[in-house]
This record gives sequence, structure tokens and C-alpha cells, in this order.
Amino acid sequence: MTTATKSDVGLIKHLLRRASFGATPTELDHYEELGYEAAIEELLYPGDPQNMPDDIIKRYHTDMHELRYGNSASAYWLYRMVTTKAPMEEKVALFWHGVFATGYAKTNQARSLLNQIDMFRRLGLGKLDDLLIDLAKDPSMIIWLDNQENHDGAINENWGRELLELFSMGIGNYTEDDIKEASRAFTGWTLGNAEYMAVRASKDSIWPYSRIAWHFDFRPGDHDDGEKRFLGETGNFNGDDIVRIICKQPATARFIARHLYDFFVADEEPVPQWPYSPPRDPEAIDILAQAYFDGDHEIRHMLRVLFNSDFFKEAKYSRVKCPAELVAGTMRLSGSVTRPYMEIIPTSDLTGFMGQSLLNPPSVEGWHEGTEWINSGALVERVNFAAKEISDITAPGVRLILDRLAERNGGEYTPTEIVDACLDIMGTPEMDREMRAALIAHVGMGGDISLTGGEKGGRCERRIGELLGLIASTTEYQLV
Amino acid sequence: MTTTAVQTLKLEYVKTIGIVNNAPVGRGFANPIDLAIHDDGRLFVMNRGAPVFTRIGVTNMNEDYLYEFSSHGDGEGQLRLAAGIALSNDGSVVYITDEYHHRISVFDADSGDFVRAWGTHGSADGEFDGPTGIRVDADDNLYITDQNNHRVQKITAEGRHLLTFGGAGSGEGELNMPWGICIAPDGSIFVADWRNDRIQQFSAEGEFIAKFGESGDDDGQFIRPSDVAVDADGNIYVTDWGNERVQILAADGSHVRTLRGEATLSKWALDFLAANPDEVETRKISNLTPELPPHLDTPHLISSQTEPYFWGPSSVNFDSEGRLFVTESSRHRIQVYQTG
Repeated sequence: MTTATKSDVGLIKHLLRRASFGATPTELDHYEELGYEAAIEELLYPGDPQNMPDDIIKRYHTDMHELRYGNSASAYWLYRMVTTKAPMEEKVALFWHGVFATGYAKTNQARSLLNQIDMFRRLGLGKLDDLLIDLAKDPSMIIWLDNQENHDGAINENWGRELLELFSMGIGNYTEDDIKEASRAFTGWTLGNAEYMAVRASKDSIWPYSRIAWHFDFRPGDHDDGEKRFLGETGNFNGDDIVRIICKQPATARFIARHLYDFFVADEEPVPQWPYSPPRDPEAIDILAQAYFDGDHEIRHMLRVLFNSDFFKEAKYSRVKCPAELVAGTMRLSGSVTRPYMEIIPTSDLTGFMGQSLLNPPSVEGWHEGTEWINSGALVERVNFAAKEISDITAPGVRLILDRLAERNGGEYTPTEIVDACLDIMGTPEMDREMRAALIAHVGMGGDISLTGGEKGGRCERRIGELLGLIASTTEYQLV
Repeated sequence: MTTTAVQTLKLEYVKTIGIVNNAPVGRGFANPIDLAIHDDGRLFVMNRGAPVFTRIGVTNMNEDYLYEFSSHGDGEGQLRLAAGIALSNDGSVVYITDEYHHRISVFDADSGDFVRAWGTHGSADGEFDGPTGIRVDADDNLYITDQNNHRVQKITAEGRHLLTFGGAGSGEGELNMPWGICIAPDGSIFVADWRNDRIQQFSAEGEFIAKFGESGDDDGQFIRPSDVAVDADGNIYVTDWGNERVQILAADGSHVRTLRGEATLSKWALDFLAANPDEVETRKISNLTPELPPHLDTPHLISSQTEPYFWGPSSVNFDSEGRLFVTESSRHRIQVYQTG
């Protein structure tokens, strides 16, 4: 076991902002002891998530047992993001949710959407081929892109088109005929009781006895098993064969590489612009595309190469936090969630007010990310939430921060020292000089900070809570 | 072994009552969590109404929707996380536990008018941290499970503390987040020791008598049992919430029978379908007890896809005619079985 050097510590924090939702002081202790490369491996092989137990949540939130409503489901996912000990699982699920964007607005099926998220947890770090095959069988995706209407002799090409355009290769790398042939191969790939379920979904019917969740069904009698010519290959292809052929393509490697770069390294332009504008870092895409083939299409290997690369290490604070990252990350740091509570649903709804309704993306293209997360309304929501959440000095995570501060530096801080210590804790050590000076001046109005001998909740602790809230209001806190 | 019990226990499915309701008022159920049965046949259904449609709906075996009372909120006579409901012996008032407000609210059973409430948050005698199951003994005293204090409290109808038993732990007589409770015909107290995956029996004075079950999904095992009821012969009926089933044990604890649920269309469900022929037509060609892929093989996920099965069985009750009522929070209905 190695102990991290100071430069490693900065990198580990960077890694945890991307592969997790930031780091609590306790998590940081653990990963610092591991060292950077071992930390990557641990994150890439998620163990027992030890998240808040399902039974505890479902007994308290009867709506989360049932999952009839979309916001119950997104709040249930937020519990998982906030309390998991295997954060990479949730980050990867969030990543694929943005790529394979499937939404409540058309499906009216929150539970099946969460089943899809669970599939991303299971397969999201594995081989792309396996992920795309399960995606094609995912009943929410089937309804979302109308594959239950894709019949032998009467194709519906919605799924086939999006599979190629948005989920694997990108425009310009296949023909219209390829779309039609792929669609033929996916005929008969439907969901159980498709007719009844499609009617219920279209009417948002919950009657008589609430939602009936969905499962995949293959109807051989509705499958076109004739010969097809797809991307230069010919055969009696089924959907599995189409995925296998797609996953062999260099265009697929580059497309997935660009998605990974966009989510884990630095904001790219929205996907519809990709055919017309080069990647932000073409060399990085080359490296990741090569990793795709070197690792036999395994996403985990691509991420291993990504997190160990110089282009990743040099990309601190080059992404805007998506709302889920901002909300979950701040709640993990505050430690406010220790048992189920009623306010989790309005808190989860906040990500929607910030522009990201989990499980309900605006379209199959997903969310337009980067600076598009920031408009004046969304920014107010972001700042108000984060500042309030992290300035609560009764929250367990904030208490831990205060206790750590009391143990260090003899518990005595000048305004400059306490500002720098809190910037470090909040993951924003590289604060704009003027802003840092303003924070120091503000704290300085109250004099030095002493955490020795004072009672919990005393004046100095309240001043630190206020300072944490102010840091959460800065531009830098919006970045990751 | 159970041979004798198996041969003598009679139990037949009778009917299903209910339909989902997604409004603050009106016919149907909104996450029904418990039931109290009046001697005159009225069924008082506690709609937890997650998240905001809390109320008590009153119906009967004929599925007449008679009236409803209370609502979601923090004021007097309002409820937030209603959990248990019980009627006084004379049928004049209902008692409702609210695990959010840590109090018991009392309503006039006929008018639905709020009468009084008592209870505060805490761990001293007479205080609560998440009161849940509630039943009335022959003397009109209340036995209430105090979920997060891991205990049972016996309280008078006016709210005066009489007795506390249980306490956190997994040893004999200790409890872990108890949920449902019942008073057996012999006066002993059965508690659904939820997070210990077992049922425990106590004397009316709170002395440990017996424990039944352990963690698991085999016969006689439980995952998070939510409620318990005992028939005149001493058979024990358990809503095995985490296994999405009802298990019946003989008085000695041996397994007698397991019910997975066999709901049919209620009168209200038939009313709905009569007005929605497109759903009737497509429903006819559907299989609502389907084979499922292996990643959807937990009892919870199976029930989410299988309409007749129990889903969220939260409460089990008998009426005076030996009918067994199983309340399902996630299917918004009550399955009725005839015993004896």
C-alpha cells in the first residue's frame, strides 16, 4: 500500500469529482491511502454499494415501493447516488442515461425506467456489445422508440435509426439502407403483452391496479429472418448480429470515445454537432478508440486508460456539473441523508428545476450539457440549494468537516487559513483570486476563528457554515 | 409436523375490493396500508396516499363507497405518514397512527370528525418515534408498535401510558423496527418483528412467550413481515411483505400454507374497464402471470409484473365471520379469503 503524495492528492480529488460525486473527508482518507492508480481500479470494480437499504426506503416511502410516479423513481435513484459506497456504478448509470436517453413522458413507466438504470449498473462498465443487446431488449427503450410497432413485413425504423445515429456510430457512417436492414433484424423484439402495455402507456393508464411493469418478449412469428445486407456483411441477421457488426466498427469506437470524453473529461459540443465539428481533443479520442479495441470493447478498460491519461489529469474544472452531480455531490458532503425523509422528493425535483429531470430527458438526444446547464433561473436554483445544504452545521457531514478543522492547525485559523481550508474541503482550491480575497475579507470582519473549547453550534462554527455556503455559491463550485 | 393442520385449515378466495385512486378524494384506494373492520360490516381503509393523498375511505363487502375523512397535512385531524388504524370496541371511534407526526389521531367513526390526538416525538414512556401498528384489546386499551424505539407501548384510549415492552435487539423479546401487531383470541400479543424477520408472541403484560420464523424465503421463513393475525384456532397469518406473500402457520409455528395472491377484477375495476374497451380488448390477449427473465426474479419484481399476486401486503385482518382481508399497498386493493 502506498501513501499519496501531495500532487497525487489533488489528482485523487479530481478523479473523485469525475468518477464519484466529489469526496467526503472520510472517502478522501481511504483513496489517499490507496494511491491514484489503485483508486482507479477500486472505482472501476464496484463492490457492495451499501446504499440505504431498499426495505427501509420502501417501508417509509410507500410510493417508492410501488414506483407509479416519475418523481418517486428519480428520488429513489437520488437516495442511491447520495448513499452508495460504489459511486462509479451510479456515475456510469448516469452517463448511459444521458446517452441512451429514455423518458417518462412517453413511457409512463417509472419502474421499468429504473430497471433500465439497473441494467446500466450491471452492464455499463462491461462490453459494449452486451450493453447494446440488453438495451435493444429493454422494454422502456422498445416503447420509447416504438419497436413494438416494428413488424415482419412492416418495419418501424425508429429504433434502428437511433441505434446507429445516437447510440453507436453517429451520422455519416452508415446508409439509409443500413437503417432499414437493421430494423428488419429487430422485428419481433417487443415487450410482454405489448398491445395492452402500449395502450396503457399511451393513455397513462394506471387502472385498475396501478402499473404493470414490463419485460422483454421475442415473437419469432413476427421476426423477419430473411437475408439482410448490413454495413457490408450479408446474412440472416437477428438483432444480436446487428449489434455484433456495429461493435466491430471504428466509427463506433470513436463515437463512444467522444461520449466518454464529454462526460468524464471535458464538455464537448452537443451530439448533433459532432458530424460537423472535430472533437475538442482529437488525440484523446484516438487513444480512447484504440483502448476500445485493445480491451475487446470493454468500457471499463476505456475508462482505465482515460483516468490514467494526461489529457484527463490536465482537465480539472473543465466541465460544468450536471444538476444530478451538483445535488448528489453536495448531499454526500453534507451527510444530511441518514434515514428516509419526506423532503427527498422535493429535493430530487430540484434537479428538474435546474434543467435535468432524471428519468425524463427532453428527447432521445438526452440533455445538452456544459454551459447549457447554466441559465439565470437554473443558476439561482443551484446556488440556493448548495448554499443551504452545506451551511447546515447540524448535518453529520458538516459536523465531520468541523471536527476535522478543530483537530487541525490547533483548531485556530486566521481568515486566510480558514478560507483556504474550506476551499480545499469543498473541492474548489483553485478559486479565482478576487473571489478568494473577497471571502477572506468577509470572514475577516469577524476576526480569527477558534474551534478550541467552543460549544457545538457556537459562533465560530456558524461562521464556518456560512463560509461553506458562500463557497457553494461561487462559479468554481459549479465546475467539476 | 403440519399434517393435521393442513388437513383441517379451510381457506378459499372470495373476492377483491379496490381500484387505484390518484386524487385527494373519491372512490378507490391510495396506497392502502391497514384496515379496520366494524361489526356492522364497514371497512375503514387507511390510505397512506403516498405521497399526498392520505385519507380514510369507508366501504363494505358490497364495494359501496360510503364516505371518507381526514386529509394530508400537519393540522389537527390531518395525517402525513398514516400507518395503522383500529376501531374502539363499541365502533364509535377510530385510532390512527402517524409515524411522521409521532402521534395517534382519534376520529368519530360515523361522522369522520376529528376528536383528539396525543403523542409526541421522543423515547420516554408515552412518547413515540414512528408509531405504526395499532390494535385495541378487550378493555379498550391500545397496543402500539413504536417503530424506531423498537418497542411496544400499551396506552389507554385517552393516551395514558400503561406498559412498555420490547427494546432494540434480536434476542428473545427484543425488537427491530416492529410494524404490525395483533391481539390473539387468547389475549396474547403477536408482533411483526419486521427487521428481525420473525413474529414474536408476548403475554398481555409484555412477557416473551414465543418466536416464529427466521430470515429467508422457504416455508416458515420471512423477509420483513409487516403484519400478523391469529384465528380462533390459533393459526397465525403473516403478511410476508419482503416475500410478497401471506404465510399461515399453525399455533406451534409449523408451516401450513402459503398464499401468493389470486386477485380478480373488483366491481370498481369492472366499472373502469366497461368505459375503456381498448384496454379490455388488449387485456384479453394478455398473460398477466407471465414468465419473466432471470434479472427480474425477485418476489418484488415478479409482483410488479403479475397483476393477481400480492404486492406490498401490509396488513392482515379477520372479520367476525372468519373472512381474511389482505391489504396491498402497491396494488391499491384488498383480497378477501374465507377461512373455517
